[in-house]
Amino acid sequence: MSRILRIELRRSAALGAVLILLLAGAVLLYAAPQRWSSGWMSLAMIQREYLVLLWPLALAVGAWQARREHRSNVGELFASTARPRVQRMVPTLGAMGIAVVCAYLAVAAAAAPWIIDTAGYFPATVFVVAAVGALALVAAAWLGLAVGRLVPSLVTAPALAVAGIGLLMVIPVAVRRREWLALVFSPMYGMGQYTDYQTVYGRVSAAQAIWLAALAVAAAALLASGSWRTRLAALLPAILGAGLAIMIIPRNDEFLANPVDPVAQEQVCAEGSPRVCVSRVHSGLLPEAAPLARQALALLAKLPNPPTTVHEDTTTYYPDTSPPRQADVVLMPITVDKNGHLARKAEIVPTMLKAAGANTNGCGEIPSTSVSRAAEYWLIGREPVTEYAHEPAEDNAEAVKLWQGLQRLPEKEAAARVAAVRRAALACEDVDGLLTRSAR
Amino acid sequence: MRWLTLYLRSRRVPIALTASAGCTVVMWSLWSAFSNARDAGVPMVILTVLLLVAAVTATLAGPDDSLERTAALSWPARRAAHLLAALAVVVVLLLATLVTGARFGPAGLVLRDAAGLLGLTALGAVTIGASRSWFLPLGWTLASLVFSVSGMTSSEILTWQAQAPSNKTAAITAALLAAGGLIAYATAGPAQRAPAEAAL
Repeated sequence: MSRILRIELRRSAALGAVLILLLAGAVLLYAAPQRWSSGWMSLAMIQREYLVLLWPLALAVGAWQARREHRSNVGELFASTARPRVQRMVPTLGAMGIAVVCAYLAVAAAAAPWIIDTAGYFPATVFVVAAVGALALVAAAWLGLAVGRLVPSLVTAPALAVAGIGLLMVIPVAVRRREWLALVFSPMYGMGQYTDYQTVYGRVSAAQAIWLAALAVAAAALLASGSWRTRLAALLPAILGAGLAIMIIPRNDEFLANPVDPVAQEQVCAEGSPRVCVSRVHSGLLPEAAPLARQALALLAKLPNPPTTVHEDTTTYYPDTSPPRQADVVLMPITVDKNGHLARKAEIVPTMLKAAGANTNGCGEIPSTSVSRAAEYWLIGREPVTEYAHEPAEDNAEAVKLWQGLQRLPEKEAAARVAAVRRAALACEDVDGLLTRSAR
Repeated sequence: MRWLTLYLRSRRVPIALTASAGCTVVMWSLWSAFSNARDAGVPMVILTVLLLVAAVTATLAGPDDSLERTAALSWPARRAAHLLAALAVVVVLLLATLVTGARFGPAGLVLRDAAGLLGLTALGAVTIGASRSWFLPLGWTLASLVFSVSGMTSSEILTWQAQAPSNKTAAITAALLAAGGLIAYATAGPAQRAPAEAAL
């Protein structure tokens, strides 16, 4: 059996399939490395998202392979051999399955060196997400084999690929607001990255795995069956799998789009003091982030009762969460560039000092730009400059005026006023006027 | 006339025509049934063009090309006419939908994509054989459909199938592919295959 499998691996479309899928997957990944450079989970999820192309291609590969007998005119000859059809089909199924799994893993392996230095957090979920992706490709290749054998025409393979991509593009629209339904039947749905802390729930992966495994079994049964009665029976596993998957998947109240992994958000601290912590998913960036964070703390030390700790700003917008507001903690924004390193380094310290380093996330109202900026630039020690291209011009003019006022004051009084801005911003209070009236 | 009938039959043109018409009807019915908009979405139009081009691909080689080549006929002109007729079939089928309730247009997009993809398929038929010639058009079109970007010349060339009909770079790319395919196929003909694969 293993000898036949080896021959099949060499003589079937397996090698070509690996090359095509590897090329397509690697080109897609490296076309936009900033989408997955932030960590292993991002890579696993983005690779799942790119199934939008690989899944239809795997369908086409299967259908192409299934036409081999027809192409070589040996259908009659093989039908005359006194062996069950199953025995003849198993090596083909095995070869195609091995090929697409190898291709999926090879794409991941091609991307791994890019982030191996900077990605620190490697949860077991990565394996689950990748395994479901590989299973999706196996199901597609086997379904292609089954359909290709039923309709041995040259158009079958491209038509199947077109149908596959059409299905993946239509599913999110067709389910309307039942997003959980799209999550069951589309292996790529919901894999876009809104935050670096994103994850896929185990129950979602389980439901997807059940549906895809059932689809693969149904396709294999369809391929091996010789009569219409057994072909009809082959649909049974698919129906059962779909039903089971729909029962398992979280929905309605339990369903959450783009869930966040709390372990990935946990703060991991650098050695030495003052304390500088970043989220676990960015822990590989700690050596790059720590000097900047300490620079910001040093600038804040001008204030009375200055903050002593830096945490990463783990605010997410989908879903809406933000870290607690603490008086002794300054938040540090961390974004990852396409090489996996800290992005926009020059902007990090100024951003940390906005509103004198107060965390105003979740306050509802953001503090006045001019006051917040005047405090920021007083701490940095230079004149405020325009930060956003489309901001109203008077914002910065006002900030410069407030900053000049602070410069004219004795150092101690200015520090007290900036500290008052910080206190008020932390308490979600109005900061207007705090820089112009006496702190006492 | 007798020659033409035999030629069309040997190239399995009736089946290919039926398949193209069938694909058009299926895509047209899908859009009519599931959308209220009269104009079919651009991805739908591009996928339909791709399907039709794949359907006429099967006619690019005969059952025995080596035998065909021995005939004392001027093949280049006939091959070029074959490709142009295939383009006409694809374009006419889709333009016919413009007078119905689900329009697969605009005509410029259909013509550009049909010509470019057919040229790419013809290039494939010359190099890797007609039965494999749909590989590249399929993979390229699906990829550019999902990840189309405009703005940069290089990305417009790479995703020419999905660019707006007025895009010059995409039109030039398609024209080059079409001309290249036409010339290569007319002069060289389909690639020689192993005898075991003679029957497509």
